[in-house]
Amino acid sequence: MYRLALNMLFGDRAKLAMLLCGLAFSALLMAQQSSVFFGIMSWTYTPMVNIRAQVWVSDPMVEQVNDAKPLRDTDLGRVRSVDGVAWAAPLHTSFVQARMQDGNFKLITLVGIDADTFAGAPAVLTQGRIEDLRLPDTVIVDEWGAQLMGRTEIGRDGKPKTTPLKVGDTFEVNDIQARIVGICKVRRAFTGGPFVYTTYDRAKAYTLGARRTLSFMLVEPQKGITPAELCGRIERETGLKAWTSDTVIWSWGERSLARNTFWWFWTNTGIPFSFGTAVLLGLFVGIAISGQTFYSFILENLKYFAAIKAMGAGMGVIARMLFVQAFTAGLIGFGLGAGMAQAIGRAMIEKGMPPFVMFPQILWATFALVLGISFVSAVIGIIKVSRVDAASVFRG
Amino acid sequence: MSHQAHTVAVRATGVDMFFGTPENQVVALKQADFEARRGELIMLVGPSGCGKTTLLSVIAGTLTPQAGTVEVFGQRLDGLGQEELTSFRRKNLGFVFQSFNLIPTLSVVENVMVPLLIQGRPYDEAHARAHAIIEKVGLKGREEGRPNALSGGQQQRVAIARALVHEPPLLICDEPTSALDKDTGAHIMELVRDLSRSPERCVVVVTHDHRIFRFADRIAEMEDGRISRVVDDPKLLDTSHL
Repeated sequence: MYRLALNMLFGDRAKLAMLLCGLAFSALLMAQQSSVFFGIMSWTYTPMVNIRAQVWVSDPMVEQVNDAKPLRDTDLGRVRSVDGVAWAAPLHTSFVQARMQDGNFKLITLVGIDADTFAGAPAVLTQGRIEDLRLPDTVIVDEWGAQLMGRTEIGRDGKPKTTPLKVGDTFEVNDIQARIVGICKVRRAFTGGPFVYTTYDRAKAYTLGARRTLSFMLVEPQKGITPAELCGRIERETGLKAWTSDTVIWSWGERSLARNTFWWFWTNTGIPFSFGTAVLLGLFVGIAISGQTFYSFILENLKYFAAIKAMGAGMGVIARMLFVQAFTAGLIGFGLGAGMAQAIGRAMIEKGMPPFVMFPQILWATFALVLGISFVSAVIGIIKVSRVDAASVFRG
Repeated sequence: MSHQAHTVAVRATGVDMFFGTPENQVVALKQADFEARRGELIMLVGPSGCGKTTLLSVIAGTLTPQAGTVEVFGQRLDGLGQEELTSFRRKNLGFVFQSFNLIPTLSVVENVMVPLLIQGRPYDEAHARAHAIIEKVGLKGREEGRPNALSGGQQQRVAIARALVHEPPLLICDEPTSALDKDTGAHIMELVRDLSRSPERCVVVVTHDHRIFRFADRIAEMEDGRISRVVDDPKLLDTSHL
């Protein structure tokens, strides 16, 4: 009977198309909005991705990576003295204004790294060498920043044209020259400013007069010691807060700075509510369109289901037929919707708008919700058919 | 067991059937007695509202009467639960409906396969048997087409094939010719009579159509919820009120 159930479903092309549109649209909305949401939220802990270290140490009051509370430089010595620390390097992060050659100002994320070890340096340099940061007044700018901070001129066609910054170009931070010696490739951040790397000492100079400039300490555990274990030791011996660099936000690891950052934004901003509303909207639209379409499909076939009942099919068989129809439509609708969401995501990433992260969990959740919509639709149909009197087939 | 018990296919005795609330009750059957024999084609006739369809539904086990007994091929239907009635219909009944009730999104052969698949027969076996009976009803070559592409008479042939594909002992036909012209109706009744002519089968036809009375072995006339008389010769019936 299941094969006939499917043939009944596929036989009515117009109804099927509408049913699939509803389910696909719903799946698209849920998967796409969730992926953009997680994309944006993954930007909140971008510094954890761009500045790589196994253990991060901060002031005990720090709640998330974008909210550094300056430490004393002497804290670095205290951390280095903890048993199990292979090395510890200072890190400065702050948001400062950069003055461009054309007089324009841009907000940048200034990252000061240890000049000896280059701990926290960007992983990929597309131009220049990291060692050149040891030269006076030098910085490394990320690719997107080079574009954003580039010189904009009106072209011959009357349209503005931006020439990206390149190695050798200069700008100023607090009236101190910054000469570009490299271009790096890093992930964009939620806070928006491009990443500008320099040495820790030069970062101090760029942030004139700040009494404390040590934002975090980047620490490497000795062999045989896990980051979590070392975090515990550092906290016990120094009273500072130590974090692991684990960026799996689904984990329950209390020590993950990325996870804490993610959930800080989740709790303290309206972003989840905004995107959650869109996801819920997708769910409701899906239930409304699919439920209604499936219901009208049932209504149109009601007399045939009554005939099948009269011929001796039990409600169990009919219910299974309806579930097969609903879940098949759900499966195809999910495939179409998730496929479209993927295509949109790829287009977004290709156009340099990458706040799009489609975790497998998003696909599973969307799949479950679409099947939930199908289930509700099938149950509505089953209730309707169960109320049909088999004797009604004799009433013309 | 008496000889009569062997020949009786359907027996309804003292059947009462009411619809509506006690304050606003509609009497559909009142102490109705009905009997159909094995190997015969019996027609139930009578004016609209006399209870023909209700009696047919009771015999088919789709309605349970408030009083009386119903026995079909030795099986008492009164007292059976819904699941048992469903199972009974699945094994013993074939239906031909007034409006055919062919599923438009399925092919002809798939429509005919439905009773076999409901019985849980394998798809391939059902397919082969459906093909064979479609050939018998004269629709060879139309198996893969949709019912809507067929004429009314052809659709009713498909419905007859569907009703007989699982070889049920009791064939129930509800106004099988009402949607058909005179000649097509006569052809359909010839087909029903020929295919169902078996000592182990009984055909009950509800109809208003006096043009097909000649195909009946017996005719039971209904009036006010009960069988008023049974005749062997259609000419004995007054058809002016039908």
